[in-house]
Amino acid sequence: MEQTRRQFIRSGLLLAAPAIVRAARMELKIGLTPVILADQAAFLARWATYLEQRIDAKVSFVARTEYQLVLDQLFQREVHVAWLCGYPYIQHQARLSMLAVPLYQNAPTYRSYLIRPRESSISGWQDLNGRVLAYADRLSNSGWLVAQAQLKKVGISPQHLRKSFFAHGHKHVAESVASHLADAGAIDGYLWDTMHKQKMQAALDTEVVWRSTAFGFPPLVNLRGEETDVHRHLQGTLLDMHRDSQGQSLLADLNLDGFVAGDPSRYESIRVMAQDVANSGLID
Amino acid sequence: MLTRLPYRLQIPLGLSMAVVITALLVSAVTARHSAQLARAQIMSTVDRTEFLIAAQAPPLLAADDVWGGYTLMKATAALLPGAQEGLSRSAILDNTGKVLAASDPVRLKTATELLNEPSRESYMRDESSLQNSHQRFHDDGNLVIVNPLRSEDGQVLGFSYIEVDAPSFAIDWLELVYPTLIGVGMAVALLVPAGWWMGKRMTRPVARIASVIAQIGSNGADKLEEGIPVTRDPELARIGSAVRELVRETRIRKKVEQRAYSAERLAAIGRMTAAVAHEINNPLGGLLNVVKTLSIHGHRDETRASSLALLERGLQQIQSTVNALLPQARGEQRPLTVIDLDDIILLARTSAGSQSLEIHATTDIESALRVPADPVRQVMLNLLSNALKAVDDRGVLQATLQADEREVRFLVSNSGTSMSEKVLERILTAESGTDPRGFGLWVCREIAIRYDGGFRVVDDAQNMTQLLFWIPNVERYETPLAD
Repeated sequence: MEQTRRQFIRSGLLLAAPAIVRAARMELKIGLTPVILADQAAFLARWATYLEQRIDAKVSFVARTEYQLVLDQLFQREVHVAWLCGYPYIQHQARLSMLAVPLYQNAPTYRSYLIRPRESSISGWQDLNGRVLAYADRLSNSGWLVAQAQLKKVGISPQHLRKSFFAHGHKHVAESVASHLADAGAIDGYLWDTMHKQKMQAALDTEVVWRSTAFGFPPLVNLRGEETDVHRHLQGTLLDMHRDSQGQSLLADLNLDGFVAGDPSRYESIRVMAQDVANSGLID
Repeated sequence: MLTRLPYRLQIPLGLSMAVVITALLVSAVTARHSAQLARAQIMSTVDRTEFLIAAQAPPLLAADDVWGGYTLMKATAALLPGAQEGLSRSAILDNTGKVLAASDPVRLKTATELLNEPSRESYMRDESSLQNSHQRFHDDGNLVIVNPLRSEDGQVLGFSYIEVDAPSFAIDWLELVYPTLIGVGMAVALLVPAGWWMGKRMTRPVARIASVIAQIGSNGADKLEEGIPVTRDPELARIGSAVRELVRETRIRKKVEQRAYSAERLAAIGRMTAAVAHEINNPLGGLLNVVKTLSIHGHRDETRASSLALLERGLQQIQSTVNALLPQARGEQRPLTVIDLDDIILLARTSAGSQSLEIHATTDIESALRVPADPVRQVMLNLLSNALKAVDDRGVLQATLQADEREVRFLVSNSGTSMSEKVLERILTAESGTDPRGFGLWVCREIAIRYDGGFRVVDDAQNMTQLLFWIPNVERYETPLAD
């Protein structure tokens, strides 16, 4: 009788073994900032499934409206990978390791736009005196830092603006300008192009009056020195996404062409610009 | 207008009008009540919206979060009346009265001073104004509500601002009247056929009574009485009873008229007979003398022959006079002939007696005479008798009988005093009976009416009286009324 009980327990444990193995699988959390249109839950679920099938880890996306929140979560190891902007990457470059950089229009770069409501009289930064300007985020290169540099360049200090505010994301910048809550807005060019391509009303009701030079595209990063096999598998999967149809479909939804390993030197122009802007918060 | 319509139209129209008027009155009262209710609902909604803003705006004000304020205003302003039409808007203001964020940034621009505008400066007139809620209707009818937003320790962080345009308070008459119109339409759809049926049912006895009244004087009295409806309605019963009485009286009056007509005929015959008797009596005296002469000297051939010739002429005169009188007394049912006129002229001349009158008769007959002889002879006799009375000894009478396919006319002219239509009418309608001409002429007119003809004075006659009688030239005999 005792022998039978032991055999029964042993056989039960053998049957349960695969589930236990699966439960022990690492859960990879990827923090998303508003550098992409991250409020499309169905797309993120598809992308997570795609990655899970290739990296042997449970994948989940953690979307936050502020860059700082995602950065804090990364430093507190609440997320394993973060899709940040180039500006916070420069700020914390010593602690961060570049995992992959998207290719947009076949280049790992993007631009910052100054947008206005359709039929507005604003034609450039010089016209913003006494106007209301919307920023995307305090840690956004295209949505704040570039604007600070350009305002300084045309001699307009923040006091000369009637008002400026952070709209908690690039999409909200477009919506603020479209609704006339702001007279103009600083926005990620890739995101505005994507919104326009998807015929979002906020993009259709606004127009670009100024485009910046190219900057390094917001990279996916992880904490330096804490890379695991899952990180390496994720990197390989991202770099190979453009090779299969499922990956191509996901990339098309993201309005991207693929991912590359990335070159930190591409972000030096952001560093130079940040050094010239007061209160840029550049610490490294 | 409405009263000229028959009852079967008056009743449904009246009912429909009553419904419409009632609906209008109810709508007016309801509209007033709805307006008050709508205003109260708007104020209640505005209060709730203001409460939501007061609960959520302070942290946004503290963080100077324009986007957060905008999303809150968009969400709460959607609750306000007329928001979809752009008739209401809300905003969060900082403690200087500048717009932090508004639901409609085009009208309430970000970072503009709203409470310091001339039209709204009273809101921030002094320090105490900042502490109080303001709710007022401006001259343009717009409602503005400004409430201070406080921190937990009571410090004024800013203000909530709600503006509702006057059209939001306007009554939506179409929406209000629409159910009433449906109700009225249904009521009218029901009442028109029902009212038609009721009207028809109500007026059927009246219509039958009216039909009976219209036939009085033409149809048999017994049939008319059968046509009067028996009803339980007291008013209609009274009318029916009165009409029944009228029919009875008409029947009696007709009998009286018939008797009068017969009496007049007999009277005329009597007058004629007296004249004829007088006319016969004269030759009878001569004839008796001839008989006496014949008995004394009858043996002489010459005397006998001349006496017999005198006797023959005298008797022929008597025979023609009696022949002229006989049809008048018999009341024959046959068509009129020209000989009838000759008879009447002969009788008239006989009646004239010793008067030196000129009595002429002419005929103008284009079509066969179909009219009954008896009544026309009566008319001719009456008119000539009347003319004889109207002229003096040397007067002139002219009688003309005309006939064509359409009608028969008898015209009598006399050289007596001219008679106007008014005088004739007065004679015919005189009730006293003192005018000797009245009854004979009245009989002429009654016969004319009975046979669908006419009787009048010819106006264009100069210095003489001309009376014209005519009836349709059709065959028509009447059965004398039973006594």
